[in-house]
Amino acid sequence: MPKSQNINPEDVRRPQFIEFGRIPVNQYNLTIEQEKKNFTTDDFVRIYHDMVIIREFETMLNLIKTTNEYRGISYNHPGPAHLSIGQEAAAVGMAYTLGIDDYIFGSHRSHGEILAKGLSAIHKLDEDNLYNIMQHYFGGKALSVVEKGFSGSVKELAVRFLLYGALAEIFARENGFNKGLGGSMHAFFTPFGIYPNNAIVGGSGDISVGAALYKKINKKPGIVVCNIGDASMGCGPVWEGISFATMDQYTKLWQGEYMGGLPLIFNFMDNLYGMGGQTMGETMGFGILARIGAGVNPDMMHAERIDGYNPLAVIDAFRRKREILEKRRGPVLLDTLTYRISGHSPSDASSYRSKEEIEAWQKVDSITTYGEQLAAAGVAKTELLDEIRSDAGELLAHILKLTVSDEISPRLDLISDPDAIGSMMFSNQSVDRMDDRKPDVLMPMEENPRVKSIKTKERFHLDSEGKPVSKARTYQLRDGIFEAVIDRFYKDPTLAAWGEENRDWGGAFAVYRGLTEALPYHRLFNSPISEGAIVGTAIGYGMCGGRVIAEIMYCDFLGRSGDEVFNQLPKWQAMSGNLIKMPVVIRVSVGSKYGAQHSQDWSSLVAHIPGLKVVFPATPYDAKGLMNSALQGTDPVIFFESQRIYDIGEMFHKPGVPEGYYEIPLGEPDIKKSGNDITILTIGATLYQVLKAADILQGKYGMNAEVIDARTLVPFNYEPVIESVRKTGKIVLASDASSRGSFLKEMAQTVTELAFDYLDAPPVVVGSRNWIIPAHEMETYFFPQPGWIIDAIHEKIIPLKGHKSGSDLSYEKSLKLNREGV
Amino acid sequence: MAIPVIMPKQGQSVETCIITKWFRQKGEQVKTGDILFSYETDKAAFDFESAADGTILDILYPEGAEVPVLANVAVIGSPGEIIEATKTSDSVVAGKEERAILLPGPEIGNHDEKRQIPVPESGAGRIRISPRARRVAEKKGIDYSKIRGSGPNGRILCSDIMNAGQEAYTGSPLVSNGVDEFTDKPLTNVRKLIARSMHASLMNSAQLTHHMSADVRGLLEARRRIKENLSAGRAEQADITLNDMICYCVIKALSRFPEANSHFLDDHMRIFKSVHLGIAVDTPRGLMVPAVRNADSMDIVSLSRSLKSVADDCKKGSIDPELIKSTAASFTVSNLGNYGVEMFTPVINLPQTAILGVCTIINRPADLGNNTFGFVPYIGLSLTYDHRAIDGGPATLFLREIKKEIESFTL
Repeated sequence: MPKSQNINPEDVRRPQFIEFGRIPVNQYNLTIEQEKKNFTTDDFVRIYHDMVIIREFETMLNLIKTTNEYRGISYNHPGPAHLSIGQEAAAVGMAYTLGIDDYIFGSHRSHGEILAKGLSAIHKLDEDNLYNIMQHYFGGKALSVVEKGFSGSVKELAVRFLLYGALAEIFARENGFNKGLGGSMHAFFTPFGIYPNNAIVGGSGDISVGAALYKKINKKPGIVVCNIGDASMGCGPVWEGISFATMDQYTKLWQGEYMGGLPLIFNFMDNLYGMGGQTMGETMGFGILARIGAGVNPDMMHAERIDGYNPLAVIDAFRRKREILEKRRGPVLLDTLTYRISGHSPSDASSYRSKEEIEAWQKVDSITTYGEQLAAAGVAKTELLDEIRSDAGELLAHILKLTVSDEISPRLDLISDPDAIGSMMFSNQSVDRMDDRKPDVLMPMEENPRVKSIKTKERFHLDSEGKPVSKARTYQLRDGIFEAVIDRFYKDPTLAAWGEENRDWGGAFAVYRGLTEALPYHRLFNSPISEGAIVGTAIGYGMCGGRVIAEIMYCDFLGRSGDEVFNQLPKWQAMSGNLIKMPVVIRVSVGSKYGAQHSQDWSSLVAHIPGLKVVFPATPYDAKGLMNSALQGTDPVIFFESQRIYDIGEMFHKPGVPEGYYEIPLGEPDIKKSGNDITILTIGATLYQVLKAADILQGKYGMNAEVIDARTLVPFNYEPVIESVRKTGKIVLASDASSRGSFLKEMAQTVTELAFDYLDAPPVVVGSRNWIIPAHEMETYFFPQPGWIIDAIHEKIIPLKGHKSGSDLSYEKSLKLNREGV
Repeated sequence: MAIPVIMPKQGQSVETCIITKWFRQKGEQVKTGDILFSYETDKAAFDFESAADGTILDILYPEGAEVPVLANVAVIGSPGEIIEATKTSDSVVAGKEERAILLPGPEIGNHDEKRQIPVPESGAGRIRISPRARRVAEKKGIDYSKIRGSGPNGRILCSDIMNAGQEAYTGSPLVSNGVDEFTDKPLTNVRKLIARSMHASLMNSAQLTHHMSADVRGLLEARRRIKENLSAGRAEQADITLNDMICYCVIKALSRFPEANSHFLDDHMRIFKSVHLGIAVDTPRGLMVPAVRNADSMDIVSLSRSLKSVADDCKKGSIDPELIKSTAASFTVSNLGNYGVEMFTPVINLPQTAILGVCTIINRPADLGNNTFGFVPYIGLSLTYDHRAIDGGPATLFLREIKKEIESFTL
């Protein structure tokens, strides 16, 4: 909490009532005649045309899914197709006013939205720009397919390009917008401002907030529309996204041109169902979704329900809401009422709704009704409207024919290039700054109080006379992280950092102390206690082109951001066909002393997920060098820190941690102590317990251990470890993670495979117990201790003369523990 | 209740198996799944896992013994149990029957000596050795089966091999720069059997070799005529080789020296009434010695046919396992003449008592009579005999008898 805002008991204890204003529901009531001043005849007809294209596209997919045929073309599509037949007016109305600088995010049911946004972009772009975009998208491959034999205008060509790119993506063809790696539920096309759809319900709920932050923090033009379903209102990340998007600080604490609300519309495509659950009357309690806005902030999120069955009503709302955003009074909540005639998916038997209900909505079908209104108002003749419908069918048949042909539209060739997908998991670039502006800072770096204070510190754990330096004078691990972070803040104008207590507090563990003085609010701010959104917004910020450090205060809170860390952050680079980058660093602090929910090392969980880089430094030198690399890269990095050793000094790198910039490449383990008799590989702070064990081994048993600090879990270069094992023939692996399913087991297995013939004993993992973590006073029974390592060597690798084991590492005990699951 | 341990039947045609090693000794505790002993047929080697927990009350066959399948080889139960009921009848105990040992194991003759078992009491039977130790042992050619492991559960560690190597291995290391200058190839089963039996033969018998040569002008003339007839397309002519003729002569000589047509069985000699002639055959799998049974009853044509037939069967791998046991033959001929070998010391296929090595033909000056000297083709004959069974005098006379048969050979 900032000191600038006092909380006065007299104010907050004063009796009062909260007054809610009125939330408009379906208030649009203009006729075509009245709208003629806002739309030309062409506009009216174009709206109709775009709705028809979407209807035909979805109808085609429905026929393919249910009958394997459309207009005589046979095809089997085993993958998903969540269709939006019935929702065309909502999609076209949403996209109508948007320019290419305006970004939309979607859901699993967003074919209609991406087509509507694409058609809108095609209308607004001039021909040169349009052609340029198509020509340069993946080398113009998709363009060359639709261009062949086509002699119409560039805009007509672009419509074909859009339909082909989207359909090829749905059918997993390499010419798809994302090389077929995104598919139906994830297709996107950033040159038209179409950002990812998301197969996880509400997945866009916090990612889109990050995109809006990107626009705001980097002063980029345009607004962000988050298209999600009404049922996603039940999802935590959506609430967290809304909380994050409506923080008071935007209007109260952010300064100057950065002051004001986010340019963001939460547009709930309210088709009244979440799969088969009725949000109105069954699974939610809001009745009318727009009601939610009333409770969020005094502006009631400018919430409104609009008639998504009338494209003009939707367009009207988006025009009005954009004005609010431009006045920096966002975000806005729109409840765009619509109805899905098609099932949730083609296998949907509609067992949860009546035939009468569907028929009633079909009777007021948006396309038919709008067409009749146009005809009645003399805007378009029925023949023209009919022609638009039949043309759409022919066009889609043509596109379908191109798409299903394996010669014209092959899939990624994983036979000739087996690593095609693997090579897209990471972008692996080295980029100083994501934008070229001058970074916004509040003072020259050398005047920063923390920077000045660090200057006086001893950068090695011993002074020039070889005596240990006092804690107060020691350059600590937290200083190493700080130096890397502040350096990047002064290099990369897009870099922003957020998390809980990141600003005035200086981070819960004082890593960021000094940053508050250096950085304006919009580059460093406190977030709500919303771990999902802390990561989700970072994802949105990163995929739009910004670099970001998000912080999870305790590793144990990582579970709160499970979907974001497991399903979103690691996926989007590869699912975009490697088009977008994800320069996102998530700092995760591993605790101790605070028991079962504040002391867990979950590095193994994230290391399991393909698409994340995972780092866990244990020394100041490594922390600085690895953070520099993480912040220089373009990939998501989960950066683990241990609260046990934030204050540790540099004990390995002589003469101390360099003052200047340097990088330690991710993936390179480091030999912290060389030896010939046994290899001990460690992850994280366990390094120091292992070094104690190594001293005992040397002193008591004459065994000279080689201690290797993994430093990084993913990627990992096994060569130095294998080389060591070839020498010693023996390896112990140790970390604070609970031993079952620990990443050490993965490493042990890989070492076994790569160095089997050199092993004199099986690799032995020494991890924490598979218990809850007890109180600090009992932690020595839970976390690996030096004695455990000696015992493990004695019992499982080579008996040590005169050693008496304090642990039961017997065969029977191992079987028993596994049998019992502890 | 005491439980008998039964020698399994490995395949339809197998009637006996050889116990190659006992991993557990009488009186030891065993658990289900512990490996009790290893055994092999002529084609493969197997480990036998205990199917019961308990103490080994008795072991009924020593290492090296050939045991009829389904015979009881040991008894597991609680200490003190009466085990008479499970004991096998004397008739099947190896040694009382014909000692049908394919290739004798190293233990032949000293069954009663307890061997040191490499696995300590706590071990689960099989040899526990780390991959690294195994690799180093194989590289250095150290037999780790006798090494006592110092690792957990008696696991043999690399240091154990190095310590053993200091005693057993005196040469300098071949590898200096970490690059392997050779490849290690595991032994095939046949190779192991050959190695064991040859080594055992030299260790367990008193063999020596006499060399002599025989004038083969008659043999060569006979062979020339056979070839002529063959090239003239005379169908009735069998392709009788020099080797066939020599074998024929050997068989004849044997009938006059039955003590060479015998097995030496520690406490007695077994003199065979018929000649079962073993013939050394090189096969892709290694050396094999099939027997032509009752060869003395054959004329040269059928002998020739039989020799060819068993040799072919060995090469094809379809030889009847019974015929390649060392006990199947009463005497063996090994012919290296084709390879130009002038003299060698063949190794006896125990328990046979002698083996004749046939060498190449060399033209040597000889008295042709009337003070005329000329070159005469002589074939070298190297007779190795077991001095335990035969003395030098009779052996020489036997060899001379072969020479005589060869020199007087006619078709």
